[in-house]
Amino acid sequence: MEFKQVVGSRRTIRFFDPNRPVEEEKIQVMLEAANRASRAVNADFAKAIVCYRDELSDEVRAQMKTPTTTVQIDLAPVTIFWYGDTSFVNGAQGRLKELVDLGALPVTHGWTHAYVDDLVYPQVLEPLSKDQLATVWAVSVEAGLAIAQAMLAGVDEGLGVGLHAFNAAAVKDILKVPDHWVPMWILLVGYPAEDAKGGGQRPRRKLSDSFYRGQYGNPWTEIPAVTERLKDEGMIQEPMPADASERMTEIKQLADRFGLPL
Amino acid sequence: MTDQQIESQASVKRWEASAGLSADPAEVHEGKLRILADFCAKVDKEPDELVAFCILRKKETGERFLSVKRRETINSWLEEFAAEQGWTGKQAVANANVVRSFLIHNGILIQGPVWRG
Repeated sequence: MEFKQVVGSRRTIRFFDPNRPVEEEKIQVMLEAANRASRAVNADFAKAIVCYRDELSDEVRAQMKTPTTTVQIDLAPVTIFWYGDTSFVNGAQGRLKELVDLGALPVTHGWTHAYVDDLVYPQVLEPLSKDQLATVWAVSVEAGLAIAQAMLAGVDEGLGVGLHAFNAAAVKDILKVPDHWVPMWILLVGYPAEDAKGGGQRPRRKLSDSFYRGQYGNPWTEIPAVTERLKDEGMIQEPMPADASERMTEIKQLADRFGLPL
Repeated sequence: MTDQQIESQASVKRWEASAGLSADPAEVHEGKLRILADFCAKVDKEPDELVAFCILRKKETGERFLSVKRRETINSWLEEFAAEQGWTGKQAVANANVVRSFLIHNGILIQGPVWRG
């Protein structure tokens, strides 16, 4: 699938085919996409534990559930528990100097071993790692980048995906999560039982509502030809129609199939 | 409670209007009301009380919130109820979800098992 098509086709899938297994190969593709994400200090911020629903005992699955997440967890064959590693500063000096040696951090931009040892580590990274708020901010942003790549890779592999909150306290014990991992999201993965287009793209506001040129208050002006090209290339797709009757019929069919409340 | 008594409750009126139960065939509509009435009888609460049971107030601020523990209690009552009714398989899931539908349409986000058979 072309990149723009992948971005445009992603939906939060809420009805997975519970009995169609997800190939481990496709999960590996998603993990590798996360592993290739941009990251500060070349640290492995994003950590994940992949759980196959049917490999977990009923007892364990019951502990993971909350009154708000049961349906999705029961339907999705795979749940990826995402965390951010707050120990990212460990080994940062060595990793940065490796990038200096490889020329990824070039001397033309001021990078040397001395700069890493004398300034970056003691004056930036070490204080950052001791500031809890700053640490959680950095870890969340960096893990989010990786999670987004994994999610889009899943779409590219023909899978349905959806991010949700989870019962982090219960899961920490069950999955033996280390103390220095901060819970992010669960990424549910499976083949959609609903239309993969989910009834159309979700409503989005125009670019000028969120993006600015030069300074805040000067909205970005859309170039109509680009908007049209993105429609042709699949990033901008048909929105969910105001008349939702077709989608509601589909939801009724899914509710009947899975015995869900209507 | 009779069907008439149960339909006089504000929460049931809200459910019927929001879920469009009037569009259901009469026997389906009556069947859903009967399940709710029987469940309410089991837990000795009227429908309005069942909705209120799920909402607590924070001691410090008085702010209303949906109680996770109370919803877990409802789920365990529903599990018992389904067993007592002799429901199994998809019927157990779907019928218990009639009560969850009533709660959902009254603003109580609650989920239960899914039929994957």
